[in-house]
Amino acid sequence: MNTLINKLFNRDNRTSKDDAKQRLKVLLIHDQVDLTPAQLDAMQDEITAVIQKYVEIDRDNSIVRLERGDDRIALISSVPVRRVIERALPA
Amino acid sequence: MSECIVITSGKGGVGKTTTSANLGVALALQGATVAVVDADIGLRNLDVILGLENRIVYDLVHVIEGECRLKQALIRDKRADGLYLLPAAQTRDKNAVTPQQMRELTDKLKEEFDYVLVDCPAGIEQGFKNAVAGADRAVIVTTPEVSAIRDADRIIGMVEAAELPEPQLIINRYRNKMVSRGDMMNKEDILEILAIPLLGIIPDHEDIIISANRGVPAVFDEASVVGEAFRRCARRVAGEPDVPELDFSEGNGLWGTMKRWMGFGAAAQGVA
Repeated sequence: MNTLINKLFNRDNRTSKDDAKQRLKVLLIHDQVDLTPAQLDAMQDEITAVIQKYVEIDRDNSIVRLERGDDRIALISSVPVRRVIERALPA
Repeated sequence: MSECIVITSGKGGVGKTTTSANLGVALALQGATVAVVDADIGLRNLDVILGLENRIVYDLVHVIEGECRLKQALIRDKRADGLYLLPAAQTRDKNAVTPQQMRELTDKLKEEFDYVLVDCPAGIEQGFKNAVAGADRAVIVTTPEVSAIRDADRIIGMVEAAELPEPQLIINRYRNKMVSRGDMMNKEDILEILAIPLLGIIPDHEDIIISANRGVPAVFDEASVVGEAFRRCARRVAGEPDVPELDFSEGNGLWGTMKRWMGFGAAAQGVA
């Protein structure tokens, strides 16, 4: 019932606890890897830029982020490839 | 076999002292001998929560500096057989004690008591190091808030670094109504993030404020839902298997209030 009401009145259907959980997950990764949010953004941009040298990607739907598993942090990425750029690989 | 358990959280104000007091009283009422130790030197409060502040003569630092014997500093709680408080010093700072001295002190207490509960100060510095020094295991207290859980995560790492076994978690100030409308992280969310076993959930309830006002921990009140939640935590601490979780979902609602008026104790709602 609560979920239904949320769906009716809350356009993006996100409760405040979802926000809390998401913020917390990001915070804990920052705490653990000791990188600032700005450094993480820069890392994501650079990784994406490297991929873009070789394939054309759907940047809007790309995900490159750190996630916490049970006992380690992993770099999770999902980068949809539109097409392979037709050119010789750099020597 | 005796055990020294440190109650810690990282963040201040989440309920470490309340938890230490209530677990101590509950374990004693269950028949164990218990020493609760206030390790928050300079900011002592466990004496106030237990209502024993007027009986302090000597404190933990006096014992460590040899100004009195351990037995002289221990305050017997007349309301609960087997419960003793070792108060912190109020006019000293945390550097008055070393981890080695704390370990010797808690080891000595373990010779006399079934449980030694150490109420850890907030923070991650000297006070924390002192409090965990003699501990055999840790109980982490958190609340369903981003800041408290973040600090709990940090403390869990520090407890592991101190080579204590995996700590257990108490989630304090849990509000069922907010959880059910999605405005508070629920038990599963918190356990997923912190990934340690749950010792118990304590509902957010005005009983806690009333009991702090009076210096009578909620556990003494048979009818208190918070008291019942702590009693169940204490049974789990003592190793009782399969203690059912407390259902306090009706505790604050109209039906819960009606039940109380009609003479059913709130604790009677404790059905899993």
